[in-house]
Amino acid sequence: MSRSRERVERGSPGERRARFDAQVLPHLDAAYRFARWLTRSPADADDVLQEAMLRAFRGFDDLRGSDVKAWLFAIVRNCHLTAVAQRERRGLVPLPDEGDPQHDTLICPAPGPEAASIRGDEERSLARLLEDVAPEHREVLILREIEELDYRQIAAVTQVPIGTVMSRLARARAALKARWSMRSEEERDAMR
Amino acid sequence: MPCAETESRLHAYYDGELDALAAAGFEGHLESCAECCVALEELEAMRSALRTELPYERAPAALAERIAAALDREAAPAALTTLAARVGAARGPAPTFGRGLITGAGGGLLAAALAFFLIAPHVISPRETLLDDLVNAHVRSLLPAHLVDVESTDRHTVKPWFAGHVDVSPAVYDFTAQGYRLLGGRADYFEHQRAAALIYQHGAHLINVFSWAGEGAAPADTTRNGYHLAFWKAGNLHYCAVSDTGWPELLKLVSLIRDAEGQESHG
Repeated sequence: MSRSRERVERGSPGERRARFDAQVLPHLDAAYRFARWLTRSPADADDVLQEAMLRAFRGFDDLRGSDVKAWLFAIVRNCHLTAVAQRERRGLVPLPDEGDPQHDTLICPAPGPEAASIRGDEERSLARLLEDVAPEHREVLILREIEELDYRQIAAVTQVPIGTVMSRLARARAALKARWSMRSEEERDAMR
Repeated sequence: MPCAETESRLHAYYDGELDALAAAGFEGHLESCAECCVALEELEAMRSALRTELPYERAPAALAERIAAALDREAAPAALTTLAARVGAARGPAPTFGRGLITGAGGGLLAAALAFFLIAPHVISPRETLLDDLVNAHVRSLLPAHLVDVESTDRHTVKPWFAGHVDVSPAVYDFTAQGYRLLGGRADYFEHQRAAALIYQHGAHLINVFSWAGEGAAPADTTRNGYHLAFWKAGNLHYCAVSDTGWPELLKLVSLIRDAEGQESHG
């Protein structure tokens, strides 16, 4: 450690990197979780996160004591939106992702009865139900309930006023609740 | 169904976004409104389902290494080998650790995060040093195999372990039912003593509750590097809960611990 102390001077590129590692990198897993929810695909999440971390590093000097996590999440989200826009411009049809029923038929054309029953559970899982919620509603719900950001932080990440955050959150909860209680009813019916 | 005005207040109250006065006002309303009470229970049922059922992905180790390499190229095209690269190389590709919770992803990067604190020039103010020590200890605990020294959800296992390994005897409780599962305990060293750390899991987040003996009042709650630090004092014991949970979620654990402790000392 003493050698590092001599080598890294304040204001040097190494010191900037060390500061970035200390302040931003501990939030890597959270940023990855968020990217997974935005992209709904592991491969896209990898690309988005890598791009976002590079952009974060380049823009690190703009951070200046503001909220690290909200700042990083906003960059992740912007990278995701840019990637989506680029795909749309190129007219590419995205591959079906894991949550897509089609995905399984491509990989495993004839699942056994056991797989089918697991699949059934997954279909009803909350994660699956969340997929049906509109993206702008889903993201505020994830940011609040899973990442535990407050309204001000969510507003900073999604770049909308706090009032909009509040109405989206209420709508997101109502939408998920409707799908969730439908599942509970189906389960009750299945028990009979 | 509550009216729109009440509904937005209901959500804001539930999310801990109302100030003390408005929250008290809403609690007054709750006493006379069964519908809002039911709505509140439904919100809580859904939240706890989301926090327990949804998968918590960690950044894959290979991705974390790719990012570290890309940052190295960006930071200093031909110069410094960072600690991240060295640690990453020493650890080998994608190690898995047995604890189940930490799967090695991003471990090298987290190790790198510590480098800053180790090499940064020493800060003069004792409060600043303490805050750095606490965040540092929290970040270090997130490294693979650094989280717990004694792994147990049973307070009767953790408490005696503390007796032999740290200088203080903190309150040890499990709050799994309330969404804060006790994972175990750990010994840490700061404020010139062997301090105790209790580790709780809350949804996707880990919370360290540090305790050490000391004079003076509890420092003010604060946020540092995206981590909240909530302080309190019981007798001559200082406590600090550190996490990247939301503030209301962190303060809920604090009040659970304080209530349990209060009941024990009065009962």
